[in-house]
This record gives sequence, C-alpha cells and structure tokens, in this order.
Amino acid sequence: MTSVAVGLSRDLAAKRVMRAEVQGYDIAVWRDENGGLHAWNNRCPHRGMRLSHGFVRDGHLACLYHGWHFRKDGGCAYIPAHPELEPPETISATVFSITENAGVIWVSATDTAKAPAEDGEWEPLRSLSFACPPEKVRHAIENTPFAGQLPERAASGHLTAGSTALLVHCAPLGDAETLAHLLVAAGTSLAGRKALSRWCETARESAEAGPA
Amino acid sequence: MTFTLYNYVLSGNCYKIRLMAALLGVEYETVAVDFYPGMEHRSPQMLSLNPAGTLPVLTAGDLVLTETQAMLTWMATSFDTSGTWFPAGDPALLGVVQQWLGFSGRLTQSAGLARLHSMLDWPVDGQAACAAAVKDLRILERHLTDRVLEGGLWIAGETPTIADVACFPYVALSPDAGLEHDAYPAIRNWLYAIRGLPGFVAMPGIHYRHEGTSGTNG
Amino acid sequence: MSREYATNDWYPVADAARMIPGHGFTTRLLGEPLEVSGSFENPVVTARDGRMLPVQVRYGHVWTTTGSAPRPLFDIAEADETDRTFVPCGAVQVRCSPLRAVENFLDIAHFPFVHTGILGEEPHTQVAPYKVEIREDADEVWATQIGFHQPQAAKSATEAIETRYEYRVPAPTTAVLYKTCPPKPEAWDVIAIFVQPVAEDMCIAWPWMALYDDVSPYADLVQFQQEIFLQDRSILENQKPTLLPLDPRMEIPTRCDLTSVVYRRWLKRKGATYGALTTAA
Repeated sequence: MTSVAVGLSRDLAAKRVMRAEVQGYDIAVWRDENGGLHAWNNRCPHRGMRLSHGFVRDGHLACLYHGWHFRKDGGCAYIPAHPELEPPETISATVFSITENAGVIWVSATDTAKAPAEDGEWEPLRSLSFACPPEKVRHAIENTPFAGQLPERAASGHLTAGSTALLVHCAPLGDAETLAHLLVAAGTSLAGRKALSRWCETARESAEAGPA
Repeated sequence: MTFTLYNYVLSGNCYKIRLMAALLGVEYETVAVDFYPGMEHRSPQMLSLNPAGTLPVLTAGDLVLTETQAMLTWMATSFDTSGTWFPAGDPALLGVVQQWLGFSGRLTQSAGLARLHSMLDWPVDGQAACAAAVKDLRILERHLTDRVLEGGLWIAGETPTIADVACFPYVALSPDAGLEHDAYPAIRNWLYAIRGLPGFVAMPGIHYRHEGTSGTNG
Repeated sequence: MSREYATNDWYPVADAARMIPGHGFTTRLLGEPLEVSGSFENPVVTARDGRMLPVQVRYGHVWTTTGSAPRPLFDIAEADETDRTFVPCGAVQVRCSPLRAVENFLDIAHFPFVHTGILGEEPHTQVAPYKVEIREDADEVWATQIGFHQPQAAKSATEAIETRYEYRVPAPTTAVLYKTCPPKPEAWDVIAIFVQPVAEDMCIAWPWMALYDDVSPYADLVQFQQEIFLQDRSILENQKPTLLPLDPRMEIPTRCDLTSVVYRRWLKRKGATYGALTTAA
C-alpha cells in the first residue's frame, strides 16, 4: 500500500486547504468549489512558499505570498504583479495523485493513489494526533479497554469496541507524530461517538506513556 | 467615542479587543503603548492606570478595565444589539461561555508565552510553554470535535460568542511558536470560520482569507 | 554554505534597550555563541574562546565582527541628519535563512497579499518596470525607479498614495529602503533591516528607521514597522527550503523579481553564500 490516509473527507470542505505529509513529502491538499480533491507538492514554484497557506479563488489555488494562481492541473494561471502576462507553461506546481473513499482522503507521492475498498457504511469520528510512531498507536488502540472490554480486532484497521465497529487508519506526521483517522459504523449514536472519542484519548495517554 | 484602547499591535490580548470591536462594528480610539522594546507598559504613567502592568487597558469615561474577559463582556453587553455574543438569557450557554473565557487565560500563559519566547526571545522556559500549549490545543480540539459531532461549529451554541473571540488569537498565532495546526482539524476549521466573519480584521501572523477579490474576506 | 566570506562582515547584536549595565547576555552569530556586556556606549563582545571582538556603535545598534580582515561597515548618510527621528524597532527572531529575510524586504509584489490594506491592496497588484544594478564602485545592489500604490505607506500617510521606492543592499545581510516621506515630499524616509545571522537557518532581524515625522507618537512609529515585519515573519518561516536557493532552476522568478535575481547573482559572485543553497536540491 503506497497510499497514505491524510484526513477525513468531512474535515476538508470545498475551498479549503490543509497540509499533510506523505512518504516524506510536504503536501498541500485542497478541495475545489466542485468538491474535487488536489494534492500538490507544498511549495510554490516561485519563491518556495508553502501552498497550504494559500487560498482557493476562481477554481484556482493561490499562493498567499504573491497571489500567484494555479489551475487544477498545477499550471500557473495568473501572476497578479503582471496582470497582462500569460504565465509560461513551465511554471507549474508538482501534482500528486489523490482519491477518497468511505470518508477518507488518500494520497500517493509515488504512484496512483488507491483507497482500500470498505464494506458497510461509515461515518467520520475524528482525526487524532499522537506524539509517537504508528506502531505504538495501533498497539495502544488494540489494548485500551472500552467499557471494560478489550476491542476485538478483525481485518487490518478494523476493530469492534463495545458493540460499535471502528475503522482506524494511521499515518506518520513528521518524525515523532502519528495522525490516526477514525470512523465508526453509520448510525452510531451521538453519545456512542463521544464515548469513543474519549476512549481514543485514553488510548493516546497510554501510547504516549513510557519510552518513545 | 465609545472607548479608548491602550494597544500593542503584536499582543494577542489587545487583538481580542480590536477583533471584537471590528465584529461589532464599534469605532474606538487607540493609544499605542511601546510594549517592546520600550517596556512602556511598565512606565509610571501606565502603572498608575493599571498597577498590574499588563496590556490591554480599556477606558470609557470613568471606567477602567484591565482584564480582557471583562472588556469583552462589557463590549458585548454595551454594543451587541443581537444579544448573541454574550448570551445573558441562557444560563447553561452562559456557563459554557464563561468556562472558555477562563480557558482563554490559560492560552495566554501557554501558547502566548511560547510565542513571545520564539518571536522576541522572551526570558521564559520556551519548551515548557510549548508543552503546555500542546496540552491546551488538545483540550480545545477535543471540545471542538465534540461540537462537530453535535453538528455545531462554535465554542458555545449556534452562533459565535465572546468565548470564540477570547480563544481565537493565541490558538491562531501558535504557528509563531512552531506549533502548527496540521494535527487539529476541528481547530483548523474553527479558525477558518472566524476569519470569515463579517467585519473580521487580521493581525500579524493571522492573514485575511483573500478568497474574494476585495482583498480581505470578500 | 561558506562561512569565510560572512565572518568579515559587521553584524548587529544589540540595541540600546538590550544593553543593561550589569546584565550581560548570550547571543549567537554565524553559529557561535557570543557574550555581550558593558553599556550601549561602551559595549563589550566576547567570543567563546574569550577573545574580545571589535565593536562599534552605529545606527542605533552594537555591531561586531568575528573575522580577521573585516570590511568596513557601510555608511548610511541619513543617520547623521539630526532632524530625523531614529527608531530602532527591537529584535525579532525568525526561523529562516538571513538571506531569505533580506530578499523578502526587497520584494514589493507581496504587499497586497501579506500587508493587505497597509502597503498594498487588490486590485492594485501590478508592479511596473524598474531599474536594478550592481554598483561596482561601492559593491552594492541598487533598485531604483520603483513605484507602488499604497493604502497607508507610512504612519504619517493620511490617504492612499503612489509611493516611490529605492532599495539598496550594502551588505549581504542588510537592506536599506528609501521611501516617499508623506509629510516631506522632497526627502526620503529611510527604513533598514539589519539581520544578525544566528545560523544558516535562523536569524534575528533588527528593523531600524530614520524618518521625518513630527506628528506620530513614537510608539506608533515602532508599532507600524513591527506590524509590517511580523506579517512577513509568518511567510519567511514557511518558505522551503529554509536556505536561499542560488540555482535559478529551483525557484522561478518573473519580471518584478529583478531585485531578487540580481541580489542572488551578486551573492553567488561574491561567494557570500552563508545561508544559501548553492546546488539544486
């Protein structure tokens, strides 16, 4: 699996930009006004500014520093300092592959992004950061009791906590952090979702305790 | 004139008052206080106004306020005709607002200090301030995530309140101390929503959304 | 990455506010710790090996150098005009290359987006052609004949004006701006940024101004400049790579970037590459 889960679909609305890390690349992830997703190398080709600080306007992602606009294919569409200038074709953001399925956004920096097929209906719970590597996160999640009982582990990333099916995707963020993206079976009550949110915070406490 | 703000442009606490005034559409006067490098907030003149030696200070006639939470309360109750920024008629909601006003004071001592250390080499334990800031960002992320699960967005209730204004600056400015928002999606979306409120004003470290051609929020 | 060129320049390490007799402090220059003590009038700067470094007090700051054959500190003639108000604006720490901080100071195209409503505003984004040269006799970069629409060019400005600019780079880590002075059109306001290279990827900026402004309270002048510079800081800490790339393939300039292009070329030619990336990454 070369694709990395970078966030929950719910948390990136139209016209929003966020930063992610995929296979060592700093990535700007943005959603256009039609809901389409884009993942680019997080560097404006002009002066290296992180595009994740930019803004979406007229179907383009624009850099915060000088307002250069980039089309969905990455090509530079507009340079505000020279409004009459047709930007050369050579000015382009580096585009990576992105997809989403079952409420999760996936990016690959090396080939075509693929989302795992998921049976059943899922609803987003939350993305939670852990100050430890993914292995420790997985271990803690599988070994933190929910309502007095250890979760049952099914297929990769699939758990059942209490009577609720959970889906967990972990991805490293920098050298020392992990983002865990959690989803719950559709129809889980608000009280149930809040309880699971508390439970994954407890799992974080134990994951971060002890040697790194 | 409605009131006078003794102001330092880089202070997140002064910005709370500037932001609240902008969101309420209230005009006011400012007196610039050279907090850094001049340390003018410790001058005899400023100490006679505010013996605590902190900024901001708000004066309106004989009224002198030196705590930002008090200023926000006074501003909302004086100038907000909608009655939503300070929901005085709803005890439960008001309790939540007060809860997060209190929390905003913690943010000054954690994320605020971490920022001063990183930016102006303030003589405090930067590492400890950063660790405390991460703890506070997690607390806010937890609350805002619950709000998202409830179908909400703001800290308390269906509309923004003075609690949102009080918590916004030092959270939005935490990248000044190297504390990015990448790991906090609920905080990220909440910050974005505040930056889109009608009348919103920016400060150094917090930029306009620039989505419309008007140059600010548009 | 050469330190060699950099060691023979002068750098600011303190202003008057920082110099409190009896309260010496430690700072860093070119990756090495320094001890600064004494008073603003009689400062003492000591290297880690105990060596007392040369010092001079100019332009509101204490300057020092670590090299064995220092080049003379550049001259800013306006510093001797006693009817000006001199405004040191403190020190701001930035996690970026000292050269990135200078290059940003030389850039006008970012004004509408980063200094919105003050130094620039959409739709007035266009940058007209201007002139850039390396003045070989003085070994300085100069950009002249720059004009830009500014909503509030200075604290003393009461309305939007077409501001005239000249930029001067007298040393790799210093940039001086000569700018239309709203209350005194026949003179220039002088705004400089003196950069202390803490390391290749970390710097302390000491903004300093020499203005004609009899009206604005002093604190307003300081805050006006601090507001501008702190708006830039959030950009500077998000440019990647952190070092300034000198290979023209790494960052694509356009016409309005002529000052930056010449600045980068000048640095490369001189070997002033401390804080620079000299090969494509």
